[in-house]
Amino acid sequence: MAEYSTDDNTAEATHKMTRAERRQARRMRRFDNPWNNPKLFWGAGLLLGIIALGILGRLFWDLELVFTGSGMLKLPPIGFENLRGQEGTLANPLGTDGAGRDILALIIIGAPNSLFVGLLASLIGMSAGIMLGFTAGFVGGRTDDVIRVLSDVMITIPPLLILVVFQASFGDVSLTMMALLIAGFVWQSPTRLIRAQVLSMRESGYVQMARLSGASTFHIMFKEMLPNLVPYLFGSFIANVTTSIVTAVGLEVLGLGPQRIPTLGRTIYEAINAGALIQNLWWWWGIPTILLAVMFIGLLLINLGLDEVSNPRLRKLS
Amino acid sequence: MTDKPVLTLKDLSIEFPTPKGVVEAVKALDLTINPGVRVGFIGESGSGKTTTALAVMRMLANPGRIAGGEIMLGDTDMRALDEEGIRKARLSRVAYIPQGAMNSLNPVMRIEDQLWDAITAHEGTTDPAELKRRSDEALSSVGLPDHVGRLYPHELSGGMKQRVCIALGVILTPELIIADEPTSALDVVTQRQVMHTLQEVQKKIGSGLILIGHDMGLMAQSVDELAVLKNGVLVEHGTVKQIIEAPKHPYTQDLISSVPLVGGDSFLDPSGKTPSNRAGAEPLMEFRDVTKRYGQVTAVHPMSFQLDGEVPKIISIVGQSGSGKSTMGSLMLGFNPPTEGQVLFEGQDISKMSAAQSLEFRKNVQAVFQDPYGCFNPFYRVDHALKFPFKQFGLAKSEAHTQQAMEEACDAVGLDPSLILRRYPHQLSGGQRQRLIVARALMLSPKLLIADEPVSMVDASLRATILKNIYDLKDRYGISILYITHDLATAYHVSDYVMVLYHGRVVEAGPPKEVIGDPHHPYTRLLIDSIPWPDLNRDWGTPEEADRAIHMLDTGQVGTESIFRGDVPGFSLKVA
Repeated sequence: MAEYSTDDNTAEATHKMTRAERRQARRMRRFDNPWNNPKLFWGAGLLLGIIALGILGRLFWDLELVFTGSGMLKLPPIGFENLRGQEGTLANPLGTDGAGRDILALIIIGAPNSLFVGLLASLIGMSAGIMLGFTAGFVGGRTDDVIRVLSDVMITIPPLLILVVFQASFGDVSLTMMALLIAGFVWQSPTRLIRAQVLSMRESGYVQMARLSGASTFHIMFKEMLPNLVPYLFGSFIANVTTSIVTAVGLEVLGLGPQRIPTLGRTIYEAINAGALIQNLWWWWGIPTILLAVMFIGLLLINLGLDEVSNPRLRKLS
Repeated sequence: MTDKPVLTLKDLSIEFPTPKGVVEAVKALDLTINPGVRVGFIGESGSGKTTTALAVMRMLANPGRIAGGEIMLGDTDMRALDEEGIRKARLSRVAYIPQGAMNSLNPVMRIEDQLWDAITAHEGTTDPAELKRRSDEALSSVGLPDHVGRLYPHELSGGMKQRVCIALGVILTPELIIADEPTSALDVVTQRQVMHTLQEVQKKIGSGLILIGHDMGLMAQSVDELAVLKNGVLVEHGTVKQIIEAPKHPYTQDLISSVPLVGGDSFLDPSGKTPSNRAGAEPLMEFRDVTKRYGQVTAVHPMSFQLDGEVPKIISIVGQSGSGKSTMGSLMLGFNPPTEGQVLFEGQDISKMSAAQSLEFRKNVQAVFQDPYGCFNPFYRVDHALKFPFKQFGLAKSEAHTQQAMEEACDAVGLDPSLILRRYPHQLSGGQRQRLIVARALMLSPKLLIADEPVSMVDASLRATILKNIYDLKDRYGISILYITHDLATAYHVSDYVMVLYHGRVVEAGPPKEVIGDPHHPYTRLLIDSIPWPDLNRDWGTPEEADRAIHMLDTGQVGTESIFRGDVPGFSLKVA
């Protein structure tokens, strides 16, 4: 039981803290430093875990096993038995798929790939959103009308529909190409968000002060306004990463997307195609699904954490 | 008035646990309020007056808590009530009229629906005809016509919204009304009307009233007893007469003497010799037949003036909200182009300046705005606001020179640089921030400073100090100032020339001794009569007189002519 510091010369100061009070004190400290947020830590931890899997896997695992026929077919993970009664082996600790590819090698390459597509698409979308949002909010008039209408229309179009057509006509695409295509559908919400913030900040006292100080438009945009937008931008960025990964995986599970590079979505597509569900080859589709779930939970936690950082009202004190 | 007290506070303590330890917001407060008595809680922000009032309603914001003491509302122990008991007591027994009435009404509900909500929440389903009768009665008791009930909040003016809030507070005839700075967002004319309304309603239902505020003048005119709070401690309590005429505590004396009066002693000490910092043939600031219209509304009617700035002057522009005074300020800063006419700075039309001229203009025409909280970018330390323009205008010779200039400027406005610089804006008080903005203006030493309501959001006790800082800019540093305000008493003291604006027209102009000391125009007279004085012998007028005066002005029966009361050298004004 911790005690209040005794230099606090109030009568109650020396009594022992109850459990509720200690919890309260912990919340207080969190209130003081918003970045010290358990949701943020856990979310970041999960994502870093996936990245670590990619890096450590490349160092310690033989990635050649990702090619067809590098192992026995349809082997289960260690400690399990498949329908043929074969035991899992150390050579393929997470089992193999219907073509003898090692599942561990597949996810070591595939999981970071999915994350990469999401991050890249979101990064491009955000950059476009920041530029367009600032332009719309600052220039106003006709430019604003065009950008606003365009982003409003784009929000109503379901991206998967268009992307299926695009991908089908492109045939095989690279990861970067896919990220670019998806980016075309994730710039609208940051655009709207930033435009709204810029419109309200434009009238704020400190922006007027900056204008009085002879600041250039560039300075006002990027030195006065942008820093205050950072929490919103982070939140929006993470939400966009989630959307981008969902879109990318959706395409891959439909059999579109990169044909020659292993991705989590593509593995699931092949599992379904080969009848893995009926043959009870659960590790084939289950392990990539778990990894995707971990990724989404991580992103969700980060997003919730950032929400609390940027919106103090969500930081509960009681 | 001799029956049981409506509110008894005994040994009340309230504390807020924070990461840095427990803050005692209210310490051992003892107070009783009798029915029909109006009690004023006065003190600067952070003195615990609102916290006490909220504790009575058990509405303390988390994590605040009542640490000890007793709150008795009549015979009820408020601390012993459960959630449902508290809900029932709120509004029906103790009503709270909040500070920002503008934001306390539901924007998507009609006024009468909101009044009905209050009744049905406490008395269950009530007959619609009965509801209608009671809401109309409540509205008429605050002087609003029945049809207001059918309107939405955005269709009402600020004063009307505040009255609706009062109607909402009294509709269930509570035993105690708590009004938290009900007029702080209103101008003097509306303030007087709203305060009269509140007093009348309170007299009619015979409840107790707690009026929270920081304006000694307003208190003197509207309450019976005064409770002076400082840092959570009740330092003085007594009848208004006792406290105004013979304040015992030095803090009370400070509060009383900080109210600037028309006439009376000046709080300024002019140095006598005012330096001039410019020589040039062109007038410093000139309006040529400037008109500003927003759609159908004319914010500024055609006017011309020349301020030559040879000898620095303080020109005051006074008027109610919506009189066009802030529009004039933004026209002069070039934030807004005039609809017709030209605004010239040293002979240059400010809308047609080249980039270099524009920077020169910005350097020479600076501003202090109303809101000291919004003027600092929360992302940066306060140094940024001082350092950036200094460098931008090429005044900085080196990093050390900038630092030295900042420290000197802070010293000049009475701030300790070692305590202020390197801090974040939220760590400073409103008064400190506003002085820092004055320091910023001083560092840039512009030729003209536009001060737009520089003290209206600052605690009363600090107003005189900040105005003195601003006055020193003219007196010691030779900066001409346009002082935009609704406060005639301060305009009287600081300015060399006063313009009274009403609906975008100059109605009276001249030296302050004439215009404010002896007003001729009915509007100026109305403004001066509306000022609450910390003087019990001075009558605040009756609401009927005020209503009549406003009506006559609005219908144009009186005062359509501008009255000029003499000139001062270096400034000429012409109204088309």
